[in-house]
Amino acid sequence: MITLDPAMLNRVIKPARYTGNEWNSIKKDHDKVNVTVALSLPDVYEVGMSNLGLKILYQILNNRTDTAAERVYAPWVDMESEMRARNIPLFTLESLKPVSEFDVVGFSLQYEMSYSNVLNMLDLAGIPLFTAERNEKMPIIVGGGPCTFNAEPVADFFDCLILGEGEEVMEDLIEAVSAWKQSGKADGRVGLLKKIAKIEGIYVPSLYDVTYHNDGTVAKIVPNCSDAPAIVTKRVVKDLNTVEYATRPIVPFLDIVHDRIMLELFRGCTRGCRFCQAGVLYRPVRERRPEVLLKMAKEMVDSTGYNEISLTSLSSADYSCLPDLVQSLVDDLKEQGVSVSLPSLRIDSFSIELAQKVQQVRKSGLTFAPEAGSQRMRDVINKGVTEQNLEDAVSAAFQAGWSTVKLYFMMGLPTETDEDVLEIANLAYKVLDLYKKITGRRGAKVTVSVSCFVPKPHTPFQWFPQNHASEFERKQQLLKAKLRDRNITFNWHDARTSFLEGAFARGDRRLGQVLLKAWQNGARFDGWSEYFKYDVWIDAFKASDLDPYFYATRERSFEEVMPWDHLSSGATKDFLQREYQQAVQEELTCDCRREKCSACGVCPGLGVEVLDWGNKA
Amino acid sequence: MAKLRLEITKGEEIRYISHLDYASAMERAIIRAKLPAAYSEGFNPHMKISFASALAVGVTSQAEYIDVEFKEEVELSQAVVRLTQSLPPGIKIKGARYMYGNVPALMAIVNLATYEVTMPLLAEDIGVIEDSIRWFNEAETVPYTRESPKGRKEIEVKQYMAQAVKIIILEKAVRLMIDIKITPTGSVKPGEVVAALVDMFDLPVDIDNLLIHRTGLYICDEKRTVSPIEC
Repeated sequence: MITLDPAMLNRVIKPARYTGNEWNSIKKDHDKVNVTVALSLPDVYEVGMSNLGLKILYQILNNRTDTAAERVYAPWVDMESEMRARNIPLFTLESLKPVSEFDVVGFSLQYEMSYSNVLNMLDLAGIPLFTAERNEKMPIIVGGGPCTFNAEPVADFFDCLILGEGEEVMEDLIEAVSAWKQSGKADGRVGLLKKIAKIEGIYVPSLYDVTYHNDGTVAKIVPNCSDAPAIVTKRVVKDLNTVEYATRPIVPFLDIVHDRIMLELFRGCTRGCRFCQAGVLYRPVRERRPEVLLKMAKEMVDSTGYNEISLTSLSSADYSCLPDLVQSLVDDLKEQGVSVSLPSLRIDSFSIELAQKVQQVRKSGLTFAPEAGSQRMRDVINKGVTEQNLEDAVSAAFQAGWSTVKLYFMMGLPTETDEDVLEIANLAYKVLDLYKKITGRRGAKVTVSVSCFVPKPHTPFQWFPQNHASEFERKQQLLKAKLRDRNITFNWHDARTSFLEGAFARGDRRLGQVLLKAWQNGARFDGWSEYFKYDVWIDAFKASDLDPYFYATRERSFEEVMPWDHLSSGATKDFLQREYQQAVQEELTCDCRREKCSACGVCPGLGVEVLDWGNKA
Repeated sequence: MAKLRLEITKGEEIRYISHLDYASAMERAIIRAKLPAAYSEGFNPHMKISFASALAVGVTSQAEYIDVEFKEEVELSQAVVRLTQSLPPGIKIKGARYMYGNVPALMAIVNLATYEVTMPLLAEDIGVIEDSIRWFNEAETVPYTRESPKGRKEIEVKQYMAQAVKIIILEKAVRLMIDIKITPTGSVKPGEVVAALVDMFDLPVDIDNLLIHRTGLYICDEKRTVSPIEC
């Protein structure tokens, strides 16, 4: 056990990030379990603690009497320097034990810009960075989360990566590790990895060889032993009603990013927005039954004492039984001062009645995501909403007394012109005018947030070039000049961060060298603008003789082998290519659960089906 | 309506949480205990709960006081049992009673705080320590510059001293007993008293490793000194 002396904790900001003891946290005697797991998200405590997947795994793993699961997040830069100065290794929050003493260390990979923190945490833990350098006494390093669907840039650092939902596969992994330990670690680390490679949904990168063409594109990625499958396919939970949920989440002392109960209504989304990676990775739609959700919500209020429930999903307003569920939640929990919130709303399924219902206890602004300014652009991305939808939704909100609206957009989408970008400004002004028209007053507040589009693997846009950073910056200035109104707040993303995110999103295994060099030269917390060191990254690309533009801004042909072609979300390449062509032709594809199946291949391929209780009951 | 006054702790387990976080930990415990807390009206309803005095990050206490308003009275022992089961490590209930009639706010009546400050010694010679404490206690004035994000402010430390500082010598450490007045115009923090002792009276201690513990909060007048739970 590590002791943290007061001098150190008195000096860092938010020392409670490192001291644990939160309500619902679980401390087990390590001598009484077979397997110890450190669950991590490579970012600061407030971000890591807000991740739903880790909350679920924490509960599932700790339900096992043979397993102890604990947490560890990236120490903030001040704490890191204190730890390095005192030779304190990375430790978990429950037992204050060194992470290097655990059997399994799992990282949730949510975002490419957190990769440098993975290396930094391994280094702080005293664990060799490369899978090839680790011995039998060291932890198995596991990755999970959306980035694993192309984790090639971090492939050399991970022993294995889990594709898809972790509830069941994590237990399979624990069983394998437990059996391996009991066998006296038979056949060493490689023996375990070969066993793990046979578990559905687990990718063991070291069991695959990559070759490249002279032009730098991938020639082949093939297994180098018979234990590894040619294609690893994601895991899905067939029925969310029967699987364990995080009903006893840890209640932090600090104010974290999502400091409320998260009630996950369903997984997946069938709207088919062509930019959206989550829409593909989490297919198909599987709803929880409303009575199950109501029971879970009550359990969570009782177990946490939170007074706010957020109804989370990729598109919560699409939950087929939403009005009834919201009514029941409000009715049952209002007495306890609990409010219900819907994080962001689709403008076409927006109902003012619903919005008012969820705002009965606390009233906040409304958030809509039209994603693009022009109708042409929204057709390209298959957003499927119209300007009339936005006008109707906003008008209804203003009539009901709201005056604050947030609008989310992207720029740099495929085929985008300056006219498309400027339509974002027109929409913002239209919203202001609507307020004036409806209330007779000025004074609506509109926040326009515009992110830089990053083409992601496993989407119809995976072949498209990303805009150059300078092009993003030009478009941002274009828009900024148009949005000069004190009632409009304009937020935009750093173009250079998005550019590097783009390079890593579609990167191959060679980027591991770039990552290593950038980390060695001080890169960490790259998702935090105050620590993002662009030059360090560019220098690391140069030193590795690799070109970030090759990865980010290059258009790919359909024939090219993608670095993630051996990793399957269940959606077929044919489907993605069809969608690509539809996009260029500005043609829409309908919602597969409400209209007709778009033949993405997920349901038949994975043996799952869409569960929509509004249509089935 | 009923007002429950509690005497609670902030223990070692939660030493490093802030006052605001301590307050929300209590609120959440009250919800978990299913006690009928009253809420304010309006746009952003909040639980009717008030504290006697804020405790800084890094400070523990054996005597914190809060008032919680209930919509209806719950039998006292019941309320205490239910709340006890819902409290995170580090918060214990040491006393509880209902307050009736027109109860002035805790913050308005508490005017004395007592602390124990423990830190490693940097000198072998006990005499050096005793001297510096004596000089401090005998000094007419002790000016101290408070630096905060809001800026610098000159304060006079001695006007807030309720008693002479006492010391206990421990093995390789020293413990100071510091009694501080809380006045309508302000107060001084125990850490500031120690900083003044180190800077101006050469107290030979490792101030980086100081541990502050609040031992009491009192209502003090000419006649008597009582805790808010006894008043």
